[in-house]
Amino acid sequence: MAMRELVTGGAACAVPGTSGSSNPLGALTNALIGSSSKNQERLREIPTATTTTTDGNFFAGTEEPFAALPGSEFEHPLQPNAQGSEFLQGFRSADQNRFADAWDEIQRPQIPHSLGRDSITNIPLEHGPPQRVLSSFLHSFVHSGHGAIPFRPTSLPVLGLSEGDKQCIRDRSSIMARHFFADKSEDFINTQVNALLSSLDIDNDVRSRGPMPRRFPELEEIWNESQGMKPGPYATDGWVTEFSQRQIEHNDPNAWVRSFERQHGANGWATEFEREQSQLASIDQMRGANISSLAAMEHTRKLAHTLAQNNDPKFQNSKFLQFVSKMSRGEITIEDNQIKQATISAPGDWAAEYQQQYSGGQTWADQFVNEQHSHGQGWVNEFAAERQLHGSVDGEWVNEFSKLHVNDWAEEFEHQVAEGVLGDSAGDNWANAYDEYLNQQVALKQNSESSRGVYVFSDLNPYVGHPNPLKEGQELFRKGLLSESVLALEAEVLKNPDNSEGWRLLGIAHAENDDDQQAIAAMMRAQEVDPTNLEVLLALGVSHTNELEQAAALKYLYSWLRHHPKYGSIAPADQPDNLYYADVARLFNDAAKISPDDADVHIVLGVLYNLSREYDKAIEAFQTSLKLKPRDYSLWNKLGATQANSVQSADAILAYQQALDLKPNYVRAWANMGISYANQGMYEDSIRYYVRALSMNPKADNAWQYLRISLSCASRNDMLEACDSRNLDFLQKEFPL
Amino acid sequence: MPVFKTPFNGYSVKFSPFYESQLAVATSQNFGILGNGRLHVLQLNPTITEITSFDTADGVYDLCWSESHDSLLIAAVADGSLKIYDLSLPPTSNPIRSLHEHAREAHGVDFNTVRKDSFLSASWDDTVKLWTVDRPTSVRTFKEHAYCVYSAAWNPRHADVFASASGDCTARIWDVREPGSTMILPAHEFEILSCDWNKYDDCIIATASVDKSIKVWDVRNYRVPVAVLNGHGYAVRKVKFSPHRMSVIASCSYDMTVCLWDYMVEDALIGRYDHHTEFAVGVDMSVLVEGLLASTGWDELVYVWQHGMDPRAP
Repeated sequence: MAMRELVTGGAACAVPGTSGSSNPLGALTNALIGSSSKNQERLREIPTATTTTTDGNFFAGTEEPFAALPGSEFEHPLQPNAQGSEFLQGFRSADQNRFADAWDEIQRPQIPHSLGRDSITNIPLEHGPPQRVLSSFLHSFVHSGHGAIPFRPTSLPVLGLSEGDKQCIRDRSSIMARHFFADKSEDFINTQVNALLSSLDIDNDVRSRGPMPRRFPELEEIWNESQGMKPGPYATDGWVTEFSQRQIEHNDPNAWVRSFERQHGANGWATEFEREQSQLASIDQMRGANISSLAAMEHTRKLAHTLAQNNDPKFQNSKFLQFVSKMSRGEITIEDNQIKQATISAPGDWAAEYQQQYSGGQTWADQFVNEQHSHGQGWVNEFAAERQLHGSVDGEWVNEFSKLHVNDWAEEFEHQVAEGVLGDSAGDNWANAYDEYLNQQVALKQNSESSRGVYVFSDLNPYVGHPNPLKEGQELFRKGLLSESVLALEAEVLKNPDNSEGWRLLGIAHAENDDDQQAIAAMMRAQEVDPTNLEVLLALGVSHTNELEQAAALKYLYSWLRHHPKYGSIAPADQPDNLYYADVARLFNDAAKISPDDADVHIVLGVLYNLSREYDKAIEAFQTSLKLKPRDYSLWNKLGATQANSVQSADAILAYQQALDLKPNYVRAWANMGISYANQGMYEDSIRYYVRALSMNPKADNAWQYLRISLSCASRNDMLEACDSRNLDFLQKEFPL
Repeated sequence: MPVFKTPFNGYSVKFSPFYESQLAVATSQNFGILGNGRLHVLQLNPTITEITSFDTADGVYDLCWSESHDSLLIAAVADGSLKIYDLSLPPTSNPIRSLHEHAREAHGVDFNTVRKDSFLSASWDDTVKLWTVDRPTSVRTFKEHAYCVYSAAWNPRHADVFASASGDCTARIWDVREPGSTMILPAHEFEILSCDWNKYDDCIIATASVDKSIKVWDVRNYRVPVAVLNGHGYAVRKVKFSPHRMSVIASCSYDMTVCLWDYMVEDALIGRYDHHTEFAVGVDMSVLVEGLLASTGWDELVYVWQHGMDPRAP
């Protein structure tokens, strides 16, 4: 206790309003002692709570209600009630470490959650704030159910989602999707959820930690079991074998029918079929408490086995479990010998589709039974007639029949999967688009992993051989011709790879052109050449803040301070291995005191407050620096992005407008403007701004994705194709600004 | 009629049982899929102003007021925790309790109106837990449902009886004095998202489902529903019996509407409000002012209006 007090004594310097302890020493103590300074404070406040509530008995006399609360004995049958009161006495005296520990125990789970979850609320400064992008992205997901709009996977910028975040998105979106899209088929839901998850780069391996396996452990077992199960003959399968054998023996269909009848009675076949059906029907009873129904389980097992024969991992991962779990939840019922959705038969559902594919809504067995009854003659006659009709040889029919019908329907199903007849054509398209997208993503990821931090030069650069490409590049940059300027500057750094100014300008041009990968790569080269260039260090600090890489951001910002002629003295010369946010923030606050008129210090402070999500302070810092540097358009953009972060999208638009007045070709500000409009639900407006940004730099991939989201939010699905084919002329005509 | 804009998506709204002008709203960022949450306490006077608000690290899915202390609120948080707030303390001292036992999202809380000392929490970990405000651990865990439990509701007359609604397509009736559930109601063929007891007939319960319907059941004869209320175009998210009129029910749905029903009459739908522009997920009826309704939704708006009036009228 004493040690904790001692170390956390500085808790006052923890930033109020942040849920995690920003005090590094406090964090250290938490790690060592396993508690939180905040809990300590709360602990001390509880007696106050007792006195301030209107009823003084609120926390006192607690023993009685607990003991009196009926049913509590079921939960703790072995513990005497005294246990509770003992605890509560400890509570009242509130001086026992034992209690503190117990209370901390309750409180502790809150802490990692807040730390982990908060990461999402951080929003990069420079370009489209991912947080806000995520919001409209989720919005389009949630609404895709209304117009039955297929929700296409979209590649989003790095959002910095933690594993916990991903788990939340995966589990919650799967559970919620089943509420929003109740009208849609399971297939539709899966496509939607998969598209969402893959866009966010979340692994949808349902067998890893998704909700389904946990929900239906018993089905999971069956699945595993069936994986190892030898393919045994099914009822129908056996029948085929038997049929073929007899067919060979007698080479006479009539004889076979007779022998079948002898074995099973006249209606034997139908009976067998009915038996199968009753097994199917018993799935119905799996609903609720009857989940252990043996017959149903038997059938589920068969299904599992059937589906296990399909090798497509995506298929195994979702559809099977979805379907089985759906049955177990009673969402599929058996009516009139058909598998049906519990309510409206959803289009594209594969079970229903399968039934439809199968002899137009009636199973072949049904048809057989009907025919047998209505014609009073065995199907054999009909078969014979048909054989004459087709003039086929003996045995061919059997082959055909077994291929098409008698063969176990699993194969037929696989066949259909292979042919892609499952689901309606739209569903199919999504599936294809989805696969395509996955491939693209894989390629993209490999690409980005290998190329991260490596600058990629353009082909066919007309400025190579230019006498003074740096000057040309600066001129083009000044004119706002960013893409041209990039080429000229590339020529410069090809010519003089050690020109840090060339690399720096190149980095800035890329950043303003909304290409962060290249911007960071160029800035890193600039820093290699000139490790103490202040502007480069600041730019790298901002870029890493955008990428939510706090440690790297702090490193560069700290270096900025170290190498600054004025403030170098306040930063300790030996840079600590681990920089803590609070330390760096303190140093910069000191710097701001030394020279309150240095706009750069306020800019760094603004960046730092974005890292700690203290947006009000960040806005204040940027506004201060804008007073000193009112014509810095990138500063106006930073202010706008910060305001957008703190849910002040309307103010953000004003700030972006300032940036654009100063620099009309500022692609990033145009795109950010679009994001702010989208955040206010003004999708039509946002589309116009995205289109404008894209007309200036069609290579801004992020803006294309944002545009797509806004188009679907604005229900302008007619324009999606133009967006996908990147038909800018068409879009500009449709959405003039 | 007053409107209040919340920064996050609304999830639940409840009138204070003590003050007719107080209500609280639970909100979650990003539709509760990911992000923070906030609990707002609002004052009607007659515009809506905020008295205070509390931030949470994860979305807040539901809340309930204490029936014994006018300043106590309980929030069901998406990280599985239940947090108890005391309005008489400054936000920095809150929450006064964080009860973390549920393994997954806590989706519903309900305070016992008879005993007034205990409350229930329903969670996506398939369980319902019974708590008292003063104990740091739950008193009991009810684990029978096979899928997420979305809501739990105390019987208004019997202190020990409650109902739970689950995604396993059943509603269950429990008596906390019994070891297991006393009744399983296979009420719908789709997930059941909400349930509530009639405030005047302790045997009548309503269930709301993803199948778009609300069904009213008599627990003494649960083979057939007393009434089936069709009219919502999407999943029905919450259902609530009127505290003043025996046969009146309020509901809200993913079809973005709030509906009022009289299940005893033939044309059961007696009011439809389509003021929300996103999913309507929270609705409540004031116990202290007859006919006063509140709703919230994913359009980040909270409306309070008198039945029969236009919620959007200025």
